Amino acid sequence: MSDSIDRRRFLKVLGVTGAGAATVSACGIGPEPTEKLIPYLVQPEDQIPGKATYYATTCRECAAGCGVVARVREGRAVKLEGNPESPINRGRLCSRGQAALQGLYNPDRVPHPMVRNANGTFEAIDWDGAIQRLRAKVAEARGKGIVFVSGAEVSSFGDLVDEWLKLVGGRRLSYEAFGFDALRAGNRLAFGTATLPTYDLANAKYILSFGADFLDTWLSPVEFQNGFTQAHAFEGGRSASMAKFVYVAPRLSLTGMSADEWIAARPGTEGTLALAMAQVIVSRHLARQPADASRLVGLLSGYAPSAVAEAIGIDQDTIVRLAREFASSGGGLAVAGGMATQYENGAAIVAAVNILNYVAGSVGSLVKFGADSAVGSAGTFADLVALKADMDAGRVALLLVHGANPAHSFPGAFQQALGKVGYKVSFSSYMDETTAACDLILPDHHPLEQWGDSRPRAGVTAFQQPVVQPVFETRQTGDVILQLAGRTGTFKDYVQGKWRTLQPRGRTPAAGGDQFVFDAMTKGGVYGESPTRAVRLAADLSAVAPRLSTEQKGSGEDQTIVVFPHPVLHDGRGANKPWLQELPDPVSKIAWHSWVEVHPDTAAKWGLATGDFLLLRSKFGAQKFPAWLTRSVRPDVLAVPTGQGHVAYGRYAQDRSANAFELLSRDANGYGGRTFVVAATATKTGEHRKIVTTEGSPRERGRGTVEVLGVARAKSLRPGQAPFHHEETPEYASKAVEWWAERQHEKTELGNYRGEHPRWGLAIDLSKCTGCSACVTACYAENNIATVGEDLMQRGREMSWLRLERYWLTDEHGEPQGAVNSPMLCQQCGNAPCEPVCPVFAAYHTPDGLNAQVYNRCVGTRYCSNNCPYKVRYFNWYNYAERGGKYEAFPEPLSMLLNPDVTVREKGVMEKCTFCVQRIRGAQNQARLEDRGVRDGEIVTACQQTCPSEAIVFGDLNDPRSRVSQLAGDPRGYHVLAGLNTKPAITYLARVVAQETPSHG
Amino acid sequence: MAEQQTPGTSSRVTYDYVTRTIARTLGGPSRGYFVLLGAAVALLLVGIITLLYLLRYGLGLAGYSHPVYWAVFITCFVFWVGIAHSGTLISAILFLFRSGWRTAVYRTAEAMTVFAVMTAGLFPLIHIGRQWYFYWLIPYPNERGLWPNFKSPLIWDEFAIGTYFTVSTVFLIMGLIPDVAAVRDLATGWRKKLYTITSLGWTGTNEQWRHYSKGYLYLAALATPLVLSVHSVVSWDFAMAIVPGWHATIFAPYFVAGAIYSGCAMVITLLTPIRKLFGLEELITVHHYENLAKLCLLTGSIVGYAYVCEYFIAWFSGNPHERAAFWYRAFGPYWWATWTMIICNAFLPLLLWVKKIRTNITALFVISIFVNIGMWFERYVIIVVSLAGEPYEPWANAVYNPTWADWGIMAGSFGWFFMWFLLFVKNFPAVSISEVKEVLAPPKRGQVRSR
Amino acid sequence: MSRAIRLPLPKSMRELFDAPPTPGVLGVFSHLDAILDAIKKLRAAGHTDFTVYSPIPRHEIEDALGQPVSPVRMFTLIGGIAGCSIGAWLSLWMSGDWPLVVGGKPILSIPPYVVIMFEMTILFGALTTILGILLNSLFAARRLGTIQYDPRFTNDKFGIFVPAGSDKAAGVETLLRGAGADEVRRG
Repeated sequence: MSDSIDRRRFLKVLGVTGAGAATVSACGIGPEPTEKLIPYLVQPEDQIPGKATYYATTCRECAAGCGVVARVREGRAVKLEGNPESPINRGRLCSRGQAALQGLYNPDRVPHPMVRNANGTFEAIDWDGAIQRLRAKVAEARGKGIVFVSGAEVSSFGDLVDEWLKLVGGRRLSYEAFGFDALRAGNRLAFGTATLPTYDLANAKYILSFGADFLDTWLSPVEFQNGFTQAHAFEGGRSASMAKFVYVAPRLSLTGMSADEWIAARPGTEGTLALAMAQVIVSRHLARQPADASRLVGLLSGYAPSAVAEAIGIDQDTIVRLAREFASSGGGLAVAGGMATQYENGAAIVAAVNILNYVAGSVGSLVKFGADSAVGSAGTFADLVALKADMDAGRVALLLVHGANPAHSFPGAFQQALGKVGYKVSFSSYMDETTAACDLILPDHHPLEQWGDSRPRAGVTAFQQPVVQPVFETRQTGDVILQLAGRTGTFKDYVQGKWRTLQPRGRTPAAGGDQFVFDAMTKGGVYGESPTRAVRLAADLSAVAPRLSTEQKGSGEDQTIVVFPHPVLHDGRGANKPWLQELPDPVSKIAWHSWVEVHPDTAAKWGLATGDFLLLRSKFGAQKFPAWLTRSVRPDVLAVPTGQGHVAYGRYAQDRSANAFELLSRDANGYGGRTFVVAATATKTGEHRKIVTTEGSPRERGRGTVEVLGVARAKSLRPGQAPFHHEETPEYASKAVEWWAERQHEKTELGNYRGEHPRWGLAIDLSKCTGCSACVTACYAENNIATVGEDLMQRGREMSWLRLERYWLTDEHGEPQGAVNSPMLCQQCGNAPCEPVCPVFAAYHTPDGLNAQVYNRCVGTRYCSNNCPYKVRYFNWYNYAERGGKYEAFPEPLSMLLNPDVTVREKGVMEKCTFCVQRIRGAQNQARLEDRGVRDGEIVTACQQTCPSEAIVFGDLNDPRSRVSQLAGDPRGYHVLAGLNTKPAITYLARVVAQETPSHG
Repeated sequence: MAEQQTPGTSSRVTYDYVTRTIARTLGGPSRGYFVLLGAAVALLLVGIITLLYLLRYGLGLAGYSHPVYWAVFITCFVFWVGIAHSGTLISAILFLFRSGWRTAVYRTAEAMTVFAVMTAGLFPLIHIGRQWYFYWLIPYPNERGLWPNFKSPLIWDEFAIGTYFTVSTVFLIMGLIPDVAAVRDLATGWRKKLYTITSLGWTGTNEQWRHYSKGYLYLAALATPLVLSVHSVVSWDFAMAIVPGWHATIFAPYFVAGAIYSGCAMVITLLTPIRKLFGLEELITVHHYENLAKLCLLTGSIVGYAYVCEYFIAWFSGNPHERAAFWYRAFGPYWWATWTMIICNAFLPLLLWVKKIRTNITALFVISIFVNIGMWFERYVIIVVSLAGEPYEPWANAVYNPTWADWGIMAGSFGWFFMWFLLFVKNFPAVSISEVKEVLAPPKRGQVRSR
Repeated sequence: MSRAIRLPLPKSMRELFDAPPTPGVLGVFSHLDAILDAIKKLRAAGHTDFTVYSPIPRHEIEDALGQPVSPVRMFTLIGGIAGCSIGAWLSLWMSGDWPLVVGGKPILSIPPYVVIMFEMTILFGALTTILGILLNSLFAARRLGTIQYDPRFTNDKFGIFVPAGSDKAAGVETLLRGAGADEVRRG
């Protein structure tokens, strides 16, 4: 690796100029000037210009530790894709993982060490100077309190820090804004173990989520989503398929959208519901219970449905029904997390859900203890509160912060406390709130520039290796620590040393394990299983009393405010990445700003309209949010996402909307966790804003854009049936049309169109799609799609080639029970309406059935878009690549992640999805070189590649054996707006729901 | 040709009177004229500045929003093309029908046609994304062997508008030759030179008249189908698309009628001030106005009928998309535009059934202005509302709002049009001299001359 | 001023347009019927190639002169046909030369091309018609030579110019006066 550093630097320079040539544009009028790339003076060996190199490493955007493969072109990382070897994400990736690149090339990174000077502003300082300074500070802080605040670091780096802290006498606090304290406390309550289990969603037959948003933010979303779809997706008559999914929470989250049924229990009563179900199961012997289940009878006696239904807010029959379904499914899995674990009584709720699993016999089969999860080891919120106290008391002389931003997620309090700390050092490579308050900044490498590793759970160590030469003058914190500790060697050696020890016993250490390490690195890490432990009920179950404090409310007019993590911005760390800011929230479809979810009935009471600002005032703080009216939240609850409201953190995050953390209590609750539910008054401010949303009409109006089937009906379908084939023309007419179509087709057999060609197509299974939107970000990354920013998006100028349309699934009362998500992208029509209207043939039909869009030929009449029934063509209203332009989408060095295989579109041209044509051609060329045909599955579009639920399949429709053509023949298959005779190449497979009479829109 | 005096023209009107009255209109311009001209040029400047902004920063400055990708610019394009239609209609079709009353008004109408086409032609160039590549729509030989797509209605447009502009210009010039010659023989100084050249040595010999009148006849014969074709083609820009609210077979006749309707209205709007300014009351009489009004009444009724048809078919077809589109049109957020259009175009002209109103020039002037407004909104409704309202994909609905850039360009177009028109009426006979004479009784021996 | 208008033109062109002056007699009339019987008398007297000026086209004059139908229509016809075929060639050949399939339609599909053909027919028809008028009038002017003219002819006077040498001139003068000419000039 090290010998290649010089080459990398050289290539980086090359990369910059390359990106320059790709993106620099003329000032306004006229064609863009062409710039020359610098040719190789000395051709580096093992580097072929135009050919990508791939490096396996690990995503550090969250603690899940997904394996990624970085695609590197001419020294620039241009795309991240899941590492198929990794048992965590199995080659899939979420939006946040995709967007890691924008963290690497973020224009607002701290470019070099900085120190606060006399007049309180930062000034540059060289590395040696910075480290000297730090060493001195450490020396004088010894014994006066040294604290190292890190993110959830279960890694060699964490170990190193701990070793060093032991040396200098300090302590480490690893802090996650959305901790899992309740889970551990709850597990202790129920089973006497504080570890986190693994949940086997894949093999569950009935999934019951108590607020656990395992598809968006909870623990390991990609892994869970992959498993969830295996269980929940509909695949023919497979018995395991269509595990019913019931979601219990005060609001429908991204996870909730996949639900077959939504139980909007009163906030805080989730545990009560769980115990009520357990009571039913035990009392009616619905399942074979473990021996010691009898001990529960006493506890459960108080939870008869009749007794608690009122408190929960649903009728007892429902409770009984749920209990029966759950127990009889022979594989019921109940998970508690997210919202349910963030109440005062969160721990008790977790314990209650554990008991439900226990009595249903799922503990040990679907819920396995033993392999503790990385996030499990994060410090509790109580620890942070304690630290704050220490800081206030001046008991902290030196505070070092790495990979955490408590000043944002614990605003006010921590901010003030920081003032009382002797010396504050940040290792962050972004100027976030905490860093801005520090005295010394030693910017760390971005994870993609780093050596390192992460142990997401016992047995699994995911390796991290640099994929590009550092973009800025940053330095790996590991190296800094080693230097401080006065130890020799680099952090790379340290890490690899640790990796060698992972070598299984008995294997002959080949050259000190170098070979082993190398092999592991190519695989992305060491993936082993860890033994599971059987658990028994804890000796004392008295603390399992979730009914305590079901009342979150204060005085009468107070509202219950629920603060939930934003699916992609999470606790706010995603807010400095334009891809994530521009990605519409999967549920609300709102981008670039925060909002408060209000039920229409409540809004009617207050005379509130979408976009009106609500001032929420809790005991701890007040914030303004624009209202979004939706039936996907309980009428007596207001829901607010975190993520926005940064006061620092770069141009994309700063001064955007409001910070929901401000509303929250500053004290840890009973189990040492943080309470994300708070009572607050809500008052109209009279202000109004236009919500930035991509949602046109939430109702599908039976236009045939999405189709839904009841599970029984779906199972009864036989091959050859076509329930969605609307015959609009009478027999004789359609015959004539057929004949005419054939004649017409014959007349197209000219020039390149002669002979056999593939017909590229997609199959999208709506019963797999969860709406997580990873495909959207992947599309942005692969195709150099410009982000247009808040005010342009508000004017409907977003460029997203692939959009997710969310249509509510409603019960007979019109109340949402979930949602159908339909990815809408260019359908590559066989008879494309967009093509014939283009006066210059910029839009035309390729022999292999794509609707090509020739950007260089396009003059921008926009007729094609008018004539596109799917409205999937997007126009460059401005020059989004203009250097320093008002709407510049790729400010240096963001431009370095542009995909060299795809042009950056000029002002005034139309652009659209072409099934990642660059990948198609790439594979075809490869096949030609190897003198063979393109294999099925060889071409993978960006959206398909990243989709955690594997809902998208690409292939050749003319090849009857290809997966896609088999799926296209599925009786669930339908074409959107087939009645227009556009002959789309995309086949959608209808969403299947557990309800018998589903209705949508 | 008509032997008897045209109704409404007194016996005082002799050949000589005609020549001199019309020649007088070319006399030294008044202050009022310069004020008007100045206003027109000012508007034009607004347009030019806006255009420069558009070129520099991009079309984003206009109000476009997904999926409304055509808006005010195309609306103006269709509006001006529409205006352009009455001219050739009056000069060509009525010429073939040998209706005498056209002679007094057709010159104005023709000039209006030419300048309106000039204006309309600018919009497609302005509205495209990369204006500097507009010539790619022209089939010119190039080293890459690229040709335009003749299946695209936009290319039809290019040919139709291009032909229409050429032919109507030629037609205007042809009509002018004898008149310019007449003016030439009265003029002096630089004007003499100008007219000497532009009259191409016309002397009115029997040989010249012989070829001229035959040629003029054939031109009229060619122009007539052209008028009908041009706006049909323009209408196909929409009818050929599958957008609900566009995709209708009725569009060609519907648009042609609408075009002539708006055209006649515009003729009235322009003629009235000119008549006053130049004191042409003797030549352009109430009789002419009434005939124009009747033409408006006819075409207006056709347009009204087309509106009814559209809605009926939308309902009758049972096509959910069509129904939704028209429901949105009438009762959606754009209801005001739709109802402005219906009231101005379908209801207001019904007043013209009343002879009193039909023969009241002031009333006609007011009505004509409302019709112009109504016709502009017709295009706005068809284009913007159809796109915004109910595309097939409910998710893609969006409401569109124009911005200063849209209005700026529109203002510029009016400035551009009126600038040319004003320059024309001051430098060339705004009423045909020879043809007005044609419909007068020729001088015969023994007639009493009242001078 | 009785001379024909002289256009400022280069030498060669002047040769073409301003033919050498023709001697003859010019009669100015203010009444249509007067000029009509003047025409009759002249034709009776065997004069063929005289020129009649009038401010407007009058069918009476045409009838009296009994001229053949103008050949301009041939120009229009040929132009039209040429335009149509050019339109056809443009659309068909160009589509074939760069064959691209759009919207699943045939590469050579006639219906849309009809529009092009039609428009081209009109365009070329119109242009050749103009050409016809210009050329024919030009040839006529060339044949007649430069003849006397009076600016009132474009206003309210009719006129007849009879090419005649000094021998015949007197006779023509009396004939025109007899027909009721306001004034008769010899040039």
